[in-house]
Amino acid sequence: MAGIVHIIDDDVSFRTAIERRLKKAGYQVITYSSARQLLDRPLDEKEPSCILLDVRIPGLSGPELQKHLGELGSTLPIVFLTGYADIQTTVKTMKAGAEDFLTKPVSSAKLLDAVERALAHHETLLGQRHRMDSVRSQIATLTPRERQVFELVVRGKINKQIAYELGMTERTVKAHRQQVMEKAKVQSLAELVSIAERLGLLSRGPETGDCGEGGGGLP
Amino acid sequence: MIGFVRISKLIVILVATLAPACLSAQEMRPRSILVLDQSDLRGPFYYQIFSELRAVVASDAYEHTTLYAENLDLSRFKGPAYEESLRRYLMEKYRDKQIGVIVTVGAAALELVLRWRAELWPGIPIVFTVVDEMDYARLKPPPDVTGGIVKLGLADTIAAARVVVPNLKEIVFVGDAWDRQVIFRNWPDEISTAANGLNVVEMIGLPMTEIRKRVAELREGSAIIYSAVYSDGEGTFYPPATALALIAEKANRPIIVGAETFLAPGGIGGFVLVPNLIGADAARLALRILDGEASASIAPATGGVKPIFNWEQMQRWQVAESSLPAGSEIRFREPGLWEKYRWQSLFAFSIVLLQAGLILILLFEKKRRRDAEVESRHRMSELAHVSRSATAGELSSSIAHELNQPLGAILTNTETAELILSSPVPDLEEVREILADIRRDDLRANEVIRRLRSFLKRTTFETKDIDLNALMREVFDFLSTQASARNVSLYLKASPEALRVNGDSVQLQQVIINLIVNSMDAMAAIPYGRTVIGRAEMNGGKAAIISISDSGPGIPVDKLAEVFDPFFTTKEQGMGIGLSIARTIILAHKGRIWAENDAEGGAVFHVSLPLSAA
Repeated sequence: MAGIVHIIDDDVSFRTAIERRLKKAGYQVITYSSARQLLDRPLDEKEPSCILLDVRIPGLSGPELQKHLGELGSTLPIVFLTGYADIQTTVKTMKAGAEDFLTKPVSSAKLLDAVERALAHHETLLGQRHRMDSVRSQIATLTPRERQVFELVVRGKINKQIAYELGMTERTVKAHRQQVMEKAKVQSLAELVSIAERLGLLSRGPETGDCGEGGGGLP
Repeated sequence: MIGFVRISKLIVILVATLAPACLSAQEMRPRSILVLDQSDLRGPFYYQIFSELRAVVASDAYEHTTLYAENLDLSRFKGPAYEESLRRYLMEKYRDKQIGVIVTVGAAALELVLRWRAELWPGIPIVFTVVDEMDYARLKPPPDVTGGIVKLGLADTIAAARVVVPNLKEIVFVGDAWDRQVIFRNWPDEISTAANGLNVVEMIGLPMTEIRKRVAELREGSAIIYSAVYSDGEGTFYPPATALALIAEKANRPIIVGAETFLAPGGIGGFVLVPNLIGADAARLALRILDGEASASIAPATGGVKPIFNWEQMQRWQVAESSLPAGSEIRFREPGLWEKYRWQSLFAFSIVLLQAGLILILLFEKKRRRDAEVESRHRMSELAHVSRSATAGELSSSIAHELNQPLGAILTNTETAELILSSPVPDLEEVREILADIRRDDLRANEVIRRLRSFLKRTTFETKDIDLNALMREVFDFLSTQASARNVSLYLKASPEALRVNGDSVQLQQVIINLIVNSMDAMAAIPYGRTVIGRAEMNGGKAAIISISDSGPGIPVDKLAEVFDPFFTTKEQGMGIGLSIARTIILAHKGRIWAENDAEGGAVFHVSLPLSAA
């Protein structure tokens, strides 16, 4: 699988060796000598990528960078590489969502395996994200009235209740409901609920007029 | 009864003390002494008699006494004609001289004086000396003739010979004809009894050449008894002491002699006439008589003979001092160093003894101190090793990191190279690059190992000339990885001038490592701005100061003095020996170590080390 591998290691020699090997395996490689360098450049997360991160680097350490990236909402899987794997650090980083934890020296097979899995993981993430994005954009095309109907439908309200709540006839509700099913490209109510769930709409209160991410607000 | 005895005693004492005074009042004698000596005064024996006599007379404190002396030379000149000439000579010479007392030396002189006294010196008391017991008996002097009788029996002389030669078989008489002898002329009569059982050889009246020849060939077990030889038998006369020297030169056996003056020329000794005693005795008798004592009231006394031996001859004939007759005197003893310098030796010896004692004590002290030093150095070395190992444990993660970095690069590069080589058209240029990288990383790994080993190696205390700047640099480089891993900034401000000290570089490195690690530990709790600054600087040309300051919380003021105590620790996992080791090492380097808080926060540890003499 093609992908981008970000290598963060202060040791130029090791960095170069890994870079060389990964390039041979067909990956695109970007190297950084410190965490700061990586943070200074916005990461392109649209392609399958991963981070190879040394635990001990000057300045911001590996685990600290991991925490930082998490806070920034990065989805890039992180494979830790360390010269000395103490249990404490290993547990901490894995809990924080590290993809893998490798010890130097690492064989190419293990390294490539880890990188491959990380990239695959990221690709999956990217796929999900992609689908979410398309759903979100579909939902975004709903008219405000349709959106109100949508939110009430996914919460299990029947047409009569919706009509009463929104002050419209049952007939109009049905028409809007039809529109929503079409725009969301779903066939059943269950599918519609699933989308709402994924968009996180269900966790919020039904009384609000908030349309969620990407959606239009109430007039 | 008792009272009577007392009174009679008192009377006796009164009479005894008053009698001489009464006499001296009645018969005042002229204070002059005429000494008639039968010898010719050339020999030392008679000379000593006379000189001692003269000395005693001269030392008489009361009054001056005139001394006349005549040497009759009777051993060389004999016969009625000579005697007659002497008589006339003396009569003429002393016709007008008042003589108080006459002292005769020798039996022959006494005999003549007794014969002439009635005519020449009527009523003048006579003190004789050097008169043999037998001669005295023969001459039967009248009562107013007194003096010293010499008793020198042959038996005594042979007894002395037996002392000298324990297995005595033969005695050899050497001397002039018996009738020419002054003192020993009675010996022939004693031979039969005194020399019973011994072979007797007489070399009497022989020429000197003959004597010298024969005394050189004597048998074992024999002893020479020398009376006196006055001439060589061919017309040359000499004092008997001189003759003895000639004989002793050739003699192959010890020579028993009868006069003290025969010791020096080579006689081994025996019962000898002592001329000094004889002279002194005669003088005292004469003075007593001059002072008024009646010569008739003084009985002749025996004396003038003592057992005296010659030390040198005793050594030659191996005669033990203990075997000598009781009361023996030893002459010419070569005093040993001990006898010569007894007090000096005692003093020197006691000093030496004292010194030896002191040296022993000092050596003992020194050994104890060295043992203690070795022990403490050993302990310190052990502790330092423990501490280093502990530090090594702390550092092991960074060491592993440092080491695995090049190893990881090598592994990956190798595999990449394999990959390249297995492709149909391998890019050899790239392989070459990879190999160069591998070599570089290999050397790096090696360097890490070397540093680690030199750090962990337990070395004994060995001092070298060290540059503190370089030493600090090495430590800071070594700790840089650990510091960065712990988010600590390390700065080193080296001194512009060289800081040369004498010390153990490994141990001094240990001190600096301990201080830095300690500082880093102290800052573990602070969120940011962890900084350790090392300084090396000159302090007045005599000492170098190293300081390690941190940006931590500092040391509580009441703990400043305690931080160097063993097992003082604020760390949960700390052993509390790092700083105590540091102090021990610095003290061993004759330096000082102390801690203080920086005015701007943080703790500062200072180490002062004496600079090595340029």
